Amino acid sequence: MVQLKINKLCMQFGDRLLFKADALQFAKGDTIFLQGDNGTGKTTLMKVLAGLIPATSGELVWQGQTHTKWWQKSPQLGKLVYLHQHPYLYEGSVKYNLSFAGRHQKMSGKLLAQRVDAAAKMAGLEHLLDANASNLSGGERQRLAIARAWVIQPDLLMLDEPVSNMDKESRRLVLEMVHTLKRQGTGLLVSSHQTCGITALCRQTWQIENQRITSGPFNTEQGSVQEESLHVITS
Amino acid sequence: MTESWFSLIQQAFGLLFSLDPNTWSIIGVSFNVSLAALLITLIPSLILGFVLAFARFPGRWTVINLVQTLQSIPTVVIGLLAYLLLTRMGPLGDLRWLFTQKGMILGQMMICAPVLIAMSQAAFTSVDRRAWETSRTLGASWLASVWVLCRELKAPLLMAIVMAFSRIVTEVGCSMMVGGNIMFVTRNIPTAIALETSKGDFAQAIALGLVLLILSLLLNFALGTLRGRSEPRSH
Repeated sequence: MVQLKINKLCMQFGDRLLFKADALQFAKGDTIFLQGDNGTGKTTLMKVLAGLIPATSGELVWQGQTHTKWWQKSPQLGKLVYLHQHPYLYEGSVKYNLSFAGRHQKMSGKLLAQRVDAAAKMAGLEHLLDANASNLSGGERQRLAIARAWVIQPDLLMLDEPVSNMDKESRRLVLEMVHTLKRQGTGLLVSSHQTCGITALCRQTWQIENQRITSGPFNTEQGSVQEESLHVITS
Repeated sequence: MTESWFSLIQQAFGLLFSLDPNTWSIIGVSFNVSLAALLITLIPSLILGFVLAFARFPGRWTVINLVQTLQSIPTVVIGLLAYLLLTRMGPLGDLRWLFTQKGMILGQMMICAPVLIAMSQAAFTSVDRRAWETSRTLGASWLASVWVLCRELKAPLLMAIVMAFSRIVTEVGCSMMVGGNIMFVTRNIPTAIALETSKGDFAQAIALGLVLLILSLLLNFALGTLRGRSEPRSH
């Protein structure tokens, strides 16, 4: 089972404690809703888990491997993917962006082309493959970012406020894509300071409160689940 | 100056189009020396620019200020320093590089490096952090991610290269002191222009000036085209 274990994690900025957690686990198949008010460190936690920034102290164990030395590559890079709230798209076409991760992970040309086409279709971007990514709307950018990650089929995916400032149609498409990933067994960690369609897919919760991260079961009835989510889940 | 402007310009074009060996030897020396200096300095300078932009180490502030100061030192002072290094009594005297193209290359490297380091550092500092994080989380190696950043920053980095090349191909102080202005050996465009003007042979000076002018126009048009194609990024 692909999993990330977190032991005695602590994150500080100078003397200011942002959060700490004794023991947490994020495994393939998990769907976790990361809750917390603005400024509690949800984004920072996700970046720490993704291996993008180091924690002040504590241990991250990915498949039994620990990343201890600064010059070593974090083993979860490319397998545990973090998506920014406002995704960064590279200069170039939609197709270039979709094939980005596959090229860097040395995916075979044929497989990559198949995945890129499938991803574009899933994201509703197949008619924009040759368009410049910088011309996409907010919703299209988010869909492209999720599709770009889907191409490499990550074991775990972290979505940072995935549907903030998005219209209804884009929210529906993003929700469908996330649901597809869930069906494929990708572990999901979704950060949001409010419930939405995607958080309704979650079965666990991590709550950052009073600088501590606690975990527990998540009941969709805890928040107001939007109609669109129920439609996707039941379809 | 007894000849008319028209006649001088006609003679200048004549020298260029008749492939006058003296004129083209001077142009050849200029390009050989300046391109060699640029190529040798380029990669180490970009790496240093990257390190200064992202690494945090004691003395970083001093190094940044030193590099910025070196950018504005007159080329004749750098020429003096290179001369003192290369003179028989100097620490590099055994190399016997004084009044050779190798000596000129060394001098121009000393002029070109601070421009490249400072401008590439500014470019790397301005890059969106998400470009790096996205590349890493999608599984690109450290080196591949550096290349991705360079691709994202191609306009400012090419600008740095053009500025550095312009500075060395037009500088007269250092080339005159270290090269000695020896015909067919170390006489380059700026030293030749200075000499021919002092002799009153304006036709060759104008011909060489035209070469620099055309070069400058070509480089700036190329950069302008590149900038025009880079569309503003939206987040």
